[in-house]
Amino acid sequence: MNTYRGAVRALLAGSLLVATGFAAGGALAQSKVAVITPYLAQPGTQFYVEAFQAAAKDEDWDVNVIDTAGDVAAVISRIEDMVTQNVDAIVINVDPTQVTAGLQAAADAGIPVIGMDAGSDPLLVTNVTSNGYAMAAETATYVADRIDGQGDVVMFIFEAFPPVQVRSVIADAVFGNFPDINVIDRVTPDVSDGGIADSRAKMEAVLAANPEPGSIKAVWAAWDQPALGALQAIEAAGREGEGIVITGIDANPQARDAIAEGGNFEATVAQDFTGIGTTAADVVARVIAGEEIKQGVIYVPTKLITAANVDEE
Amino acid sequence: MLTLVRRYGTLVGFAAILVTFWVLLPDTFMTARNWLNISQQMSMLIVVASGMTLVMVMGDFDLSVGSMASLAGIVVAILFTLGYPVWLAVSLALLVGLLGGAVNGLLIAYVGILPFVATLATLTIFSGAAFVVSGGKTISGRVIPEEFGSFARGGLPLGEWGGIAVSIPNLTLLAIAIAALVWVLLEQTTFGRRLYAIGGNIEAAHLSGVPVRKLKLAAFALTGGSAALAGIMYASRVASANPTQGSGLMLTAIAAVFLGSTLSEHGEPRLLYTVLGVLILGVLDNGLTQLSVDSYVRQILVGGIIVLAVSASSLTRKLRQ
Repeated sequence: MNTYRGAVRALLAGSLLVATGFAAGGALAQSKVAVITPYLAQPGTQFYVEAFQAAAKDEDWDVNVIDTAGDVAAVISRIEDMVTQNVDAIVINVDPTQVTAGLQAAADAGIPVIGMDAGSDPLLVTNVTSNGYAMAAETATYVADRIDGQGDVVMFIFEAFPPVQVRSVIADAVFGNFPDINVIDRVTPDVSDGGIADSRAKMEAVLAANPEPGSIKAVWAAWDQPALGALQAIEAAGREGEGIVITGIDANPQARDAIAEGGNFEATVAQDFTGIGTTAADVVARVIAGEEIKQGVIYVPTKLITAANVDEE
Repeated sequence: MLTLVRRYGTLVGFAAILVTFWVLLPDTFMTARNWLNISQQMSMLIVVASGMTLVMVMGDFDLSVGSMASLAGIVVAILFTLGYPVWLAVSLALLVGLLGGAVNGLLIAYVGILPFVATLATLTIFSGAAFVVSGGKTISGRVIPEEFGSFARGGLPLGEWGGIAVSIPNLTLLAIAIAALVWVLLEQTTFGRRLYAIGGNIEAAHLSGVPVRKLKLAAFALTGGSAALAGIMYASRVASANPTQGSGLMLTAIAAVFLGSTLSEHGEPRLLYTVLGVLILGVLDNGLTQLSVDSYVRQILVGGIIVLAVSASSLTRKLRQ
């Protein structure tokens, strides 16, 4: 029985040592960087992290990617552990206001924390993300150009959520710059069910109020769900042949499919997740080299997705 | 001899883990600061596991603690958005926990539903309620009062340690207080002795005049209350509330109690051993993270260690018989 217990203990200690030996090996004088996120299972996050790891390989950093599987408090705990480890930099992909305790611990220890599509915060060196203003400018100008700068446009907006609110500000400015574009409705859909169903219902009401074929030239949506809802409403009303132009933002898979089908949904904007990861790695390299980063936010260019390039990625 | 092996196997394993980490992390593991961090990281789990010990002593368990923690966090945050002061919002959220726990107790002790079924049902109900109340959203930002968020960041100053100000985190103090309270309840009161009597032999306890139903009701209510407190602590730590944020607590709390119970004489849960079980899990998380062990490999290792500890304990017990 003693032998048995000995074996159990040996196995236990052995497994620990093997696992840790691999990780601890070859860490001499390398810069240590931790990437901490609760959202690694999400596709966007995986793109950033993979791009970050690829860039880190070139820099010869020892990167520790930590996924807390949705647990935000654990992000704080892992930041604290990395502060204990005195890493050279920490990269987070989580709302910084929810992990203030961890950011404070890092700040006290003088360890820089960089946001990778995290949100702005005074405790972050900078946040690398996409520019919401620029994304909206892409689709609003697409709409204005497609309808030759004239006609009635329906907007789907959501002002309560700051990242989406900035998009409608830009669309308003673009449409306002065309004297013959008339915004007939600024609809705020109920998003509690995901946004598609209520957007469809609201769009059906707008269509009913504007029964003349050709009376609505375009639907500009601040994100993809209302654009998809509007598309469903237009198809259900049998008005898909009127050439109503629909645009969204975010380039989610459903939106890409709709664009690929070549129907009314013509354009959306894709964030460059890989670019965000690469740029975050670039910022980390500059910070480790001692450079002071002046910008609180660093924007990575986005890409307009239309039928011409929807199949590229 | 075998009893010694069984009882102290987990302890020896824990010591081996500590020594391993100490050797591999000579500068950062065995430091006051790191241990205060671990204590803070584990504080919510200690509170939930302490409550879980109360019902596991009777041979029951409560699957709803994680979703109750989420619900309590949401309740406190929603009350903040409605302008309630911190003390009132926290009190009401704790009340929700006690009442939810009492519902579990009623279903199990008076209606006669198995704890697995009853608490599985309330798990779903509490979780659904958290989603309904919050509209599925994370509540964060300015609606959360500064004093509520800063509670989890604060602590009792201990003075300087190697040039760094060290303090015992408030969350750690709270966890110690709750663990002490549950320890007194279980080890020093008639209430606790009766819970152990129920766990030992429910029929005998009933025949000797132990009010089994009332005690079950009370124990489950306290477990619900402790889950709610952990949820409030979590919300304070992240200065926000999300309808799923407590969901990881349930399985780890049960794991900690099981891990701890391998240390007791007859395999029954004891509060101090539960705390030790929580510490083992916390130390593993902390040490393996510091050693850059992949998060997914970490999960497998932690699960494997639980299996090893519990099977070592139960196999040695079998061999003795």
